[in-house]
Amino acid sequence: MPSTDTTSSLLSPALVARLERLELVSRKIFRGRLKGERRSRRKGQSVEFADFRDYVPGDDLRFLDWNLYARLDKLFLKLFLEEEDLHFYALIDASVSMDFGDPAKLYFAKQLAAALGFIGLVRADRVKIEALGAARANPARALRGRRSLWQMLDYLAGITPQWNVPLADGVREFCLRNTGKGILVLITDLLDKSGYQQALRVLMAQRMDVYVVHVLSPEELHPEIQGDLRLVDCEDGDVAEITVSRPLLNRYRQTLDTFVNDARRFCTRRGIGYLMTSTEVPVEQIVSNYLRVRGLVR
Amino acid sequence: MSLLNTLVWWQWTLLGLVPVGIILLYFLKLRRQPLEVPSTYLWSRTIEDLHVNSIWQRLRRNLLLLLQILLVLLVAGALLRPGWRGVQLTGNRFVFAIDNSASMSAKDVPPNRLTAAKREATKLVDQMSSGDVGMVIAFSDTAQVVQTFSESRRALRRRIQQIQPSGRPTDVHEALRAASGLANPNYTRLQDEQAVDEAMPATLYLLSDGRFPPRRDFSLGNLEPVYLPIGTPGSRNVGIVAFSTDRNSEKPDQLQAFARVRNDSDQPATVDLELFLDGVSVDVAELTAPAKQSGGWTFDLPDLDESELKLVMTPADALDVDNTAYAVVNRPRPANVLVLTAGDTPLELALQTDEANKIAHVTIARPDRLKETAHQTQAEAGAYDLIVYDQCAPARMPAANTVFIDALPPGDQWRTTHPVGGRDIIDIDRVHPLTQLVDMDNVKIADAVRLQPPPGGTVLMDAAIGPVCAVAPRGNFEDVVLGFALVDARSGAPRANTTWPLRPSFPVFVLNVLRYLGGTHGVSNGTSVTPGKPVPLQVPSYVDQLSVEGPTGKRFTLDRQGQSSLVFTNTAQLGIYRVFEGASQTPTQRFAVNLLDEQESRIQPRADLMLGHETIRGTSHLRAIRRELWKWIALACLGVLMLEWYIYNRRLTPYRR
Repeated sequence: MPSTDTTSSLLSPALVARLERLELVSRKIFRGRLKGERRSRRKGQSVEFADFRDYVPGDDLRFLDWNLYARLDKLFLKLFLEEEDLHFYALIDASVSMDFGDPAKLYFAKQLAAALGFIGLVRADRVKIEALGAARANPARALRGRRSLWQMLDYLAGITPQWNVPLADGVREFCLRNTGKGILVLITDLLDKSGYQQALRVLMAQRMDVYVVHVLSPEELHPEIQGDLRLVDCEDGDVAEITVSRPLLNRYRQTLDTFVNDARRFCTRRGIGYLMTSTEVPVEQIVSNYLRVRGLVR
Repeated sequence: MSLLNTLVWWQWTLLGLVPVGIILLYFLKLRRQPLEVPSTYLWSRTIEDLHVNSIWQRLRRNLLLLLQILLVLLVAGALLRPGWRGVQLTGNRFVFAIDNSASMSAKDVPPNRLTAAKREATKLVDQMSSGDVGMVIAFSDTAQVVQTFSESRRALRRRIQQIQPSGRPTDVHEALRAASGLANPNYTRLQDEQAVDEAMPATLYLLSDGRFPPRRDFSLGNLEPVYLPIGTPGSRNVGIVAFSTDRNSEKPDQLQAFARVRNDSDQPATVDLELFLDGVSVDVAELTAPAKQSGGWTFDLPDLDESELKLVMTPADALDVDNTAYAVVNRPRPANVLVLTAGDTPLELALQTDEANKIAHVTIARPDRLKETAHQTQAEAGAYDLIVYDQCAPARMPAANTVFIDALPPGDQWRTTHPVGGRDIIDIDRVHPLTQLVDMDNVKIADAVRLQPPPGGTVLMDAAIGPVCAVAPRGNFEDVVLGFALVDARSGAPRANTTWPLRPSFPVFVLNVLRYLGGTHGVSNGTSVTPGKPVPLQVPSYVDQLSVEGPTGKRFTLDRQGQSSLVFTNTAQLGIYRVFEGASQTPTQRFAVNLLDEQESRIQPRADLMLGHETIRGTSHLRAIRRELWKWIALACLGVLMLEWYIYNRRLTPYRR
C-alpha cells in the first residue's frame, strides 16, 4: 500500500486541487496510441464538430452532410475533432549530488515530477517517470489514469540518490527503451563533469518535445562558506582546495552565471525548453507560473 | 618619544624568527577544513585561473596570517618599551593661578610672559587625567576666577586662553584666598553627629614672575603650592617709577615735573626721557641710572592752568608699560564759601587776604538768609563747599563742610558744658591740617564753653576747662566747632571776646580752614592712581551728570545720586582720563592712571616665594616621569588576539547540508 505521508509530502491537497485544472501541452504533433481525452489536431472521429471540406472520391460516405447536399446540391464532408492521448516522460537525475540542499534537490525533482505526472494522469495521458540509470534495477511502468497515482508516487518514493551514471549514458539507455514520441522533462542539476551537451543531443535525436528543468540549491547559488576548505566531490571524491574570500566568491558567481547561460543558450538553439530554478521556489509556483509561461502546461 | 631595549641581540633574533616561522607554518601546515559539496565542477573552474599568482593571493587574503604577524610585531613593539617624557600632576584637584599683572607683559619670553604662562598652564591641563578637576584664576592686585572647578579639560583650556593682560600691580593675596576657598573651608558639617571638616586638598600652580610682596599673614592649610616662575633670569628693564607735578616751593608760580627711573639690571643704564606737553615735545633729558638703583630728574615747566603731560622713556626694553607715564595739571577751582554772620570784622578781614581770594570765593550774608527757601535748597543741594555759621545755626545741616563759631550744629550730637576754669588754650593738635602752624600761646579768651564732640571727632584745641575746638566727620563732610566767639554780638554792641584776631595765627587758621574744608586740596596738581583704583570726582551743584573719557576715547557717564562726589572705577587703561561736566565739550578735570610701581618694573623673576611662613622654591620643571606606552600595546595585542579568534571561528562555519 502506498504510504499516505509520501503523497501528502510530495503533493499537498491544495496543490492537487490546482493541478487538476491544468493539462500538458505539446508543441509538436504526436500520434497517440490510444484515444485519450486530448483534442488532436488531426481530424477524426469524435462528437465534436470541427469543419467542412469538399468531398473527394474515396471519403467515408458516412460523414457526408446530406442536409447541405439537399440545400446546395454539393457534397461536403463533415470533419470531427479527433481526441487522443499524449506520452509524458519525466526523467529524474538521481545522482548523489542531487541529495544536497534543504530541501534536497532530489526531493524537489520528485515533487515536480509528481505534479507534472499527476496532470498527465488526470488528463488520461500516458505517464512514465524514471530515475536516470535505474532502468534495470527499478524499471518504471507507463501509467495512465487517475487510479495510477498511487503507483506513480510509490515509484517516486523508491528513488534514492545512488545512481551515479553519467548524464549521457542514462539518457541514451532511456532512449533505447522508450522510442515513443511525446513530452520529456529532464530534471537535473547538469553538474556532470563529462558535460551535459551529449545527453541533450541524444534526446534531440528522439524528436521529443524536451524540457530541461535545471535545479540548483541555494547553497550552490549563494555559497555561504568561509575559511580554508578542502572541497570534496561527493560523487567522485575529487578535491578542490580553496581559501574563501570575497573575490573568490565573486568569481564563483561569475562561473555559475556562465554555466547557466551556456546551458540556456544550448537549449534555446535546439528548441529545448530550459528552466533554471532554485529549490527554494515552491513547486506549485514553478508549475503554474514558469512552466505555464513556457507552454508546457496550460 | 624614546625606546628602552629590554632584550639582548639573540633574543631579538629569536623574536625575529617568529614571524618567519608563522609564514612557513602557514604554508606547510595549512589545515583545511574538509567539506563535502555536490560537485567540485564549478569550484574547479573557478579556481583554475586563480592559481596563477596564488601565493600572493593567499597572503593577501589570509587575514589570520596577517593578524598573527601583526600580533608578533605588537609584542616586539611592546618589548621595546616606547614612552615619552611626561610630567606628573600630584593630587586630583588643581588650581591654576595665572598672573596677568603688568610685569607679565614683559617680552623676555617670546611673545610675552602671559602667553608663556598660558602655554605652561595648558600643558598642565593636558596632563590631567580623567576625574581630576581644575580651576583657573587670573590674578593681579585682584583675583578673578575665570573657571570654577571643572573636569572639562576643553573648558579649562578655553578659559586659560581667554585671560587678557592687565596693567595692574600684583598682590597674590586675593588669588590665594580664592584658591583656598575650597581647600580650607571655614565651615564644618555634621556627619554621624560628628563635626567633619570638609577640607579638600588641592594643588595650587602659581604661574607668575613672583613680583609681589611676600604674604606672611596667610596660612596655606591644605593648599599645596607649586611655583612655576615665568620669565628669563637676567632680563633687563628700566622703568619710570614716579612722575608727578608740583609747584616750586621757592617760586610758587612755577610748576615742576619730577620723574624717577628705576634700573633693574646689573649694569648702569642710560635712558632718554622725553616730556610731552599736550602732545608737543617740550623737553628731553638724558639720565643715567646706576645698576639696581634709581635716578631722578626735574623738569621746569611754565605756569600752566591745565595741561596733560606725558613722559616717554627710550630705548624700549623688555617691559613696555612702564616706559610711559602721565601727569595732569588741573585748573584750581576756588572754593565756594558762605559766611553767615551778624558782623564779624576780624573774620571778614581774614577772609579777604590775597591768598584767601586765590583759593576761595567768599560770600558774606546775614543770618537772616537761613530762613530763605532758596538758600535752604542751595545748601542741601551742595552749592557751597564750606558754610561758616557765626553765632547762628541752620535748622538742618547743609550738604557742605561747616564751621560753627560759638554755636552748635542742630541735633544732639554735639554737647557743651560751661564749667568754671581757665579759658586760655593750653594745647593744640599740631598735626591736623586745620591747626598746623597755628600758635595759640599768646591768645586770651574771655569766655568759652567746653565742647563734647560726637564719636569720631578730633579735639583740635584744649583749654583748662576742656576741649574748645573740635572737628567731627558727618558723612562725606566735616564740621568744625569753635567753642568761643571772636566778636560777641549777642549782648547788644559787638564786643571782642578774644585777642586771637590780633595774632598772626588767626589768618593762618582761616587759610587752613579754607584749604582743608574748601575742598580744593589735592585737585590742583592732578590725581594719579594705579590701574583699577577708584577715583573720587567732585560734582558741582549745577550739573547732574559727569562723563569721563578714557585714554581710548571711550566715554563713561556717571549720574549724580544726591552726593557731591562720585567714584569712577573704570581705570584699567593707562593714560589720561578727562572729566566733562554735563554736556560740556571742554574737560573740567583730568586725572592720570599710571603703573608707577617699583615691584612691577623689577621684572627679574623671583626664584622663590614667601607664602605664609613657607618658602616655595620655584620649579622650572615639574616632576618628570616616563609615560609608558607598552600597556596600551599589550591591550592592542589582546584586541588583535580576540579579533583573530573571532575570525577563526567565523571561518569554520559548517556548510549546510
